[in-house]
Amino acid sequence: MLTALTFIFMLTAAFAVLGFIAVSAMFLIWWERKVSAHIQSRFGPMRVGWHGVLQSIADAVKLLLKEDIRPARADKLIWWLAPFFAVVPSVMVFVAIPFGRTLVPRDLNIGILYIMAISSVCVIGVFMAGWGSNNKYSLLGGMRAGAQIISYELPLVLSIIAVVMRAGTPSMQKIVASQGSCWNIFHPDMMLVSVIYMISATAEVNRTPFDIPEAESELVAGFHTEYSGMKFAMFFVGEYTNLFIVAAIATTLFLGGWHGPILPPVVWFLIKTYALVFVWMWVRWTFPRVRVDQLMAFAWKVLTPAALVNLAIVGWLLLKR
Amino acid sequence: MNMSQTKDIRTEEFLINMGPQHPSTHGVLFLEVKLDGEIVVDCTTHIGYLHRSMEKIAENRTYTQFIPFTDRIDYVASMNNNLGYVTAVEKLMNLEVPERAKYIRVIVAELNRIASHLIGIGTFAQDLGAFATPLFYCFREREKIIDIFDRICGNRLTYNYMRIGGVQFDLPKGIDETIKQFIAYMRPKLDDYDTLLTYNAIFLARSKGIGVLPKSLAIDYSVSGPNLRASGVRWDIRKEEPYLVYEKMEFDIPVGVNGDAWDRYKVRIEEMRQSLRIVEQALGALPEGDPTVKAGRIQKIAPGEAYMRTENPRGELGFYIVSDGSTYPYRLKIRAPSFSNLALLPELVKGLKVADIICVLGSLDILMGEIDR
Amino acid sequence: MVITKTIKGAKGIITGAWSLLKGLFVTIKYFFGPTTTVQYPAQKLPMTERFRGLVDLHPEKCITCYQCVKICPTACLAVTHKEADKKKILETFRYNMELCCFCGLCQQVCPTNAIYMNKIYEISVYDRKKLYINLLNPERYSEWINPTVK
Repeated sequence: MLTALTFIFMLTAAFAVLGFIAVSAMFLIWWERKVSAHIQSRFGPMRVGWHGVLQSIADAVKLLLKEDIRPARADKLIWWLAPFFAVVPSVMVFVAIPFGRTLVPRDLNIGILYIMAISSVCVIGVFMAGWGSNNKYSLLGGMRAGAQIISYELPLVLSIIAVVMRAGTPSMQKIVASQGSCWNIFHPDMMLVSVIYMISATAEVNRTPFDIPEAESELVAGFHTEYSGMKFAMFFVGEYTNLFIVAAIATTLFLGGWHGPILPPVVWFLIKTYALVFVWMWVRWTFPRVRVDQLMAFAWKVLTPAALVNLAIVGWLLLKR
Repeated sequence: MNMSQTKDIRTEEFLINMGPQHPSTHGVLFLEVKLDGEIVVDCTTHIGYLHRSMEKIAENRTYTQFIPFTDRIDYVASMNNNLGYVTAVEKLMNLEVPERAKYIRVIVAELNRIASHLIGIGTFAQDLGAFATPLFYCFREREKIIDIFDRICGNRLTYNYMRIGGVQFDLPKGIDETIKQFIAYMRPKLDDYDTLLTYNAIFLARSKGIGVLPKSLAIDYSVSGPNLRASGVRWDIRKEEPYLVYEKMEFDIPVGVNGDAWDRYKVRIEEMRQSLRIVEQALGALPEGDPTVKAGRIQKIAPGEAYMRTENPRGELGFYIVSDGSTYPYRLKIRAPSFSNLALLPELVKGLKVADIICVLGSLDILMGEIDR
Repeated sequence: MVITKTIKGAKGIITGAWSLLKGLFVTIKYFFGPTTTVQYPAQKLPMTERFRGLVDLHPEKCITCYQCVKICPTACLAVTHKEADKKKILETFRYNMELCCFCGLCQQVCPTNAIYMNKIYEISVYDRKKLYINLLNPERYSEWINPTVK
C-alpha cells in the first residue's frame, strides 16, 4: 500500500543514495590519484583546493564542456545507449547494501542474488560500447571484456554461495547480523573463499592486473576509445562505483559489515570499505597486466575448481553441525 | 557441428595498424600487423618517420662541429654516441688521448649505460601493464645520474662532452663523492627491482618463453648487445676488442640461457650491476693530468678510412669515416644497433598474440632516433 | 601422475603468490617514503654552475675573431664589424634562438670569454619575434626569469 509518507520516504532514500554515489565517486577518483602518486614518490593533485580535493569537480566541469564527438559510421542507438548500460545497473545495486543497522534502502530477502543479477548487466554496456564504436581497437576491447567478465562471474558466485550457505539466507542485513560474534573472514573455511572473491571481483571491475579491456599500451583505451565528454565521464564514474560496490559487498560478506565497538555503524562500514578500496588500489599500482589467455586459463582451471572444492568443504562442515 | 565442418568456416584475417602515434611503440614506428583472431600471422615494420639526414649533414660540417649531432642519434645514451664518434676520428688520425681523459670517458659512458638501461627496463614494464610505478622508480634513479652529468658538462640530455683528443671539461670538485653516493644508493634499488618485477609471477608469466631468439638467428641478423647476450652468445666489444681502458677493468659479462624476453630484461639488470663495478674501479684509479682539449682547432685529416665500433647500451655502434684530406669528412656512416635489432621483429612475433608484440618490442629496447638517424 | 602434477601446480601457485606479496611490500615502502618531486613554479630548483642556458655576451670583451660564428653547428650567430683606424669594432651581434642547439661550442672556443651561456632555462615565448635576439642590447633578457645558481 503506497501512502504519501512512504513515497516521500522512498524518494528521500533514493536521492540520498544518489548523492552518496556522486560524492563517493569523486572522492575515490581523488583518492586513487593520491595513492598512485605517493606510491610513485610524487605528490599528485595539489593545486585545486587543499591538496587537490576539488580536482574531481574541476575534471567534471571540464568533461561537461567537452565536445561530444560521434564516430561517423557508429551504430547510433547502440553507441548512445552503452554508457547508460554501464552506469545504471551499478546504481541500482545500492538498493540492497546495508550501510548501518537500519540504513539500507530496502532490505530485500534475496539481497545478494539481486546484486549479482543486476551487476551482470554491466557487461552488456561494455559490449555495446565496443561494437557500436565502429573501431577495431574498441571491438577487440569489448570482446575481451565480455569474455573476461563472464568467465569470472562463475568463481565469484561460487564463493558467494559459500557465504550464503553459512549464513542460511541471501538477505544482506541477516548476513551481517550473523557475523555479530565473529567476522566471516576469521573462520578457517572462509579464508580461501574471501581470496577467491577478491580476485574474481578484481576481474569483474576491470582493474589491473585484469584490466585488459582498457589495456592502454595495446589498444589505446579499449572499449571507451570513441567516447568523449560526459559519456566518457559516465564510464569512468561507473568504474569507480563498481569498485565501491565490490568493496562494500566484501565488507558485508567477510568483514562483518557495520559491526564495530565505539563508533556509529555507518562509520565502521565506510572505514572497512575504503580500507579494502585502498588494497585494490595498492594492487593496481604494483602489478603488470595478465594476458588474455592466461586470464581465462586462470579463471577456468584454477579459480573455479578451487571455489567448487571450497563449496564442498563448507557444505560438509555445515552438515556435520 | 563436428571438426571437419569447422574447417570450412571462412575466417578473415584483419589488419591492425599500430600507427606512428601509439602509446607504446618506442618513438615513431609504424607496425602493420595481420591478425587471425588474436594470433599474429605477419607483421611489417615501416620506419623513416624520424629521418633527419644526419649522415648527409656530416658531409658539410667539420669534425668538431658534428659532435652535437652525434648526441641526437641515440638521445638516451648520448655519452656513448659521443664516445663512438670521437674514438673513430682518433683512430683515423692516430691520435693519443691522455690517460685521465680515458678514465673519465669510461666513467661517464658506464653511467650513461645505467641510465639507458633504466629507461629500457622502465618502458618494458610499462608496456606489460605495470602502469607507471616501475617507470617512475627508474626515472627517479635516472634523475640522480642526470644531475651528475649536469654538474660535469652543463646539460641533462645532449651532453656534447667529448672532444677529439679528450673531453670538454675536467671533472668538477666533489663529483667523486657524489658518484660514490650514487653507487651506494643504486645497489639496493636494483634489488628492489628484482623483488618488484623480475621474480613477480605475473611478469614471469608474461615474458618467459615469449619471443625466443635462437642463437643462429641472432647471429644471422647481426644482432648485438644485450639481445645477443641473452641468446647465449658471449660477445661484448669491451672484452673482444677493448678500447679506452676496459682491459684494466674487472667485470663479468651476463649471458642469458633461453633468449626470451625475460632473459633480455635480466641481462640488462645484471649489466647495470657490472657497470656500477666498472665505475667504482675507474673512480678509484683516476690518474692526474689534464684531459681537456681546445675546441678551436679545425682538424684536417689525411685521406683514409676507419671503422671503429664501441659497445652502446643497445649493441654495437659503429662509425665508418672516409676522409679525403679536407676539413669535412667525405662520408660518415653510422651503424646503428637498433636497426639490426628491429629487423628481428617480424621473425619473432609470428604465432604470438597481440599483447606479445608489445612485449617483444619492449624487450628489444630499440630507439627510433638510431634507426632513422 | 595426476597427484604429482597437482602438487607441482599448488607449489607453483604458492611461490607465485608469495612473489606477488613481496612486490606489494616494496610499493608500500615507497608509499610512506618521501617524495622526490618539487612543486614548480612555487618551488624551483637551482641550476648547476656549468649549466648551458641561453647564449649571452660581454660586448666589451669581444674582439670579433668570428671563431664562434665559424664553429656553431647550426649557424645561429651573425656578427658584423666595422674598421676604425686599424681596429675592429663590433657592430651587430644577432642570435637566432630557434636554431641554437645549446651545445656550448661557442662558449668553449672564445679566446676572451666574451660569449658565454647564462642560466635561463624557461625559454618559451608567445611571440616568435622574441626569439631573434640582439646581443648588444643591454635589456635583451630583462623579461626572462634568471634562476639561482647552486
